[in-house]
Amino acid sequence: MTDPLLPAWSEPFVDRRGLRRSARIRGVTRDWAWGGATGAGIRVGIIDSGLENDHPRLAGRVVRNVAVEPGEDGPRVVEDEPRDLFGHGTACGAIILSLAPEVELVSVRVLGADLRGKGTAFAAGLEWAIDEGIHVLNLSLSSKSEALFPVFHDLVDRAYFRSIALISAANNVPAPSYPSLFGSVFSVAAHDEPDPWRLYYNPAPPVEFGAWGVDVPIAWKDGGSTVATGNSFAAPHVAGIVALIRSKHPDLTPFEIKAILASIADNPGRRHPWRHRTPPLQAPDR
Amino acid sequence: METRLLQSIVDATARLFDAEAASIALFEPNPDRLEFRVAAGAKGAGAIGLSVAPTQGIAGYVFSTGQPIALSDVKDDPRFDQSVAERTGYVPRSIAAAPLVHEGGTLGVLQVLDKRSSPTFSLQDLELLGVFAGQATVALAAARVQRDTASLLRGALARVEPGLAADQLEAVVSAVTIQLDDADAAEPFWRVVDQVTRLRDLSDRELGIVADILEVLAAHAARAQRGRPGR
Repeated sequence: MTDPLLPAWSEPFVDRRGLRRSARIRGVTRDWAWGGATGAGIRVGIIDSGLENDHPRLAGRVVRNVAVEPGEDGPRVVEDEPRDLFGHGTACGAIILSLAPEVELVSVRVLGADLRGKGTAFAAGLEWAIDEGIHVLNLSLSSKSEALFPVFHDLVDRAYFRSIALISAANNVPAPSYPSLFGSVFSVAAHDEPDPWRLYYNPAPPVEFGAWGVDVPIAWKDGGSTVATGNSFAAPHVAGIVALIRSKHPDLTPFEIKAILASIADNPGRRHPWRHRTPPLQAPDR
Repeated sequence: METRLLQSIVDATARLFDAEAASIALFEPNPDRLEFRVAAGAKGAGAIGLSVAPTQGIAGYVFSTGQPIALSDVKDDPRFDQSVAERTGYVPRSIAAAPLVHEGGTLGVLQVLDKRSSPTFSLQDLELLGVFAGQATVALAAARVQRDTASLLRGALARVEPGLAADQLEAVVSAVTIQLDDADAAEPFWRVVDQVTRLRDLSDRELGIVADILEVLAAHAARAQRGRPGR
């Protein structure tokens, strides 16, 4: 499947030969990055279908539920019931908590009966979350609207300048997809190894990170659970790890966090990183 | 044309995945719903004609978010879409779905149920399903252009020549739109599409000019048809 027309974003994370590289930042290990961290003090926004606050796997960690609803002057953000229309937001929240159990979750529901997942609602929810200063935002959805390109571009920059990390699921559908294809976003596709901590860095963007997204046991609607596959479930694994890093190192910027993730990633060719004498940061092997 | 194309795509999808069923649901407004238009495979037939809310279940999720997704273990979860599944007479163990994403918005959802060789769908399966969904979208968009052109042309002709008999009107419409099937004639066809799209805003005097253009094109199409063996 090497058709150039096909955005096979997950392919580098399945056939991992292209990920071989030896660059690491000296001293940056997983233990340094998040050893002992629980996510305490960090808020994570789930921009999705809502959160079912009383789901056992959300463990009472939801602190706020808002929703975007259509208004006369465009979409507006209102307080929301603790519910999840599909189960998908709850699935993402539960994955984040499984890695960072003490984060606080904020539900920003942008999918709903009246909304049909309109891009404008998504943008309004994202803007609200950025202006609230929520530290990490999980976006397991994207918009195809060309008209919203400048809107998302501005929002993504606003988030970056305020040190808010946007974690976005890559979309496998051959079409433009915002904001997952913007440079400052943590764009994530799935790998198929059943390990929530296994992370790959892809030096060939737009999709830079690979996390577990195949046959993931997830929380689902009405207190339930199921097993699912998709980039949607890879992104929250990265969001969880980013939340851990931010809880231990609150001053780090998204740029620095990306560099840390690249450094601690499980890419091949790194089994003995300290045995060779090459400088700690070198150009990737091509 | 639309249904035939979609049918061939779900047939190919079901066969390639060696799946129990494959189906395509299209978005229809007023009231908003996803309507299952075509299905394939031994267990697929029950889905045809079924409608679900665009906020319901896996099809609704994929339609709303534009994200492809696969679920396994579906049957064991009593909460999952059981009502819809039961209406089709078939409750799947696993399901994979991809959106039909077009420039103007998402048109619908392509679903595959129960791959026989494996209890779950792989990443490659999801990406392959995305390719089939892309094919379905292209086919669907082309069919809709033809359909819309025919109806625009019909409306325009009725305005230009209110006295035109119904069968004459249809003859002109089909003579022009039939050229969509003819690759050599694609160029004049798209010019017609362009003209027809603008008709809505024209004055009566301008419509007269358009009528002349259509007359010439219709004559051209009729000549081309006569000259083609087997038609």
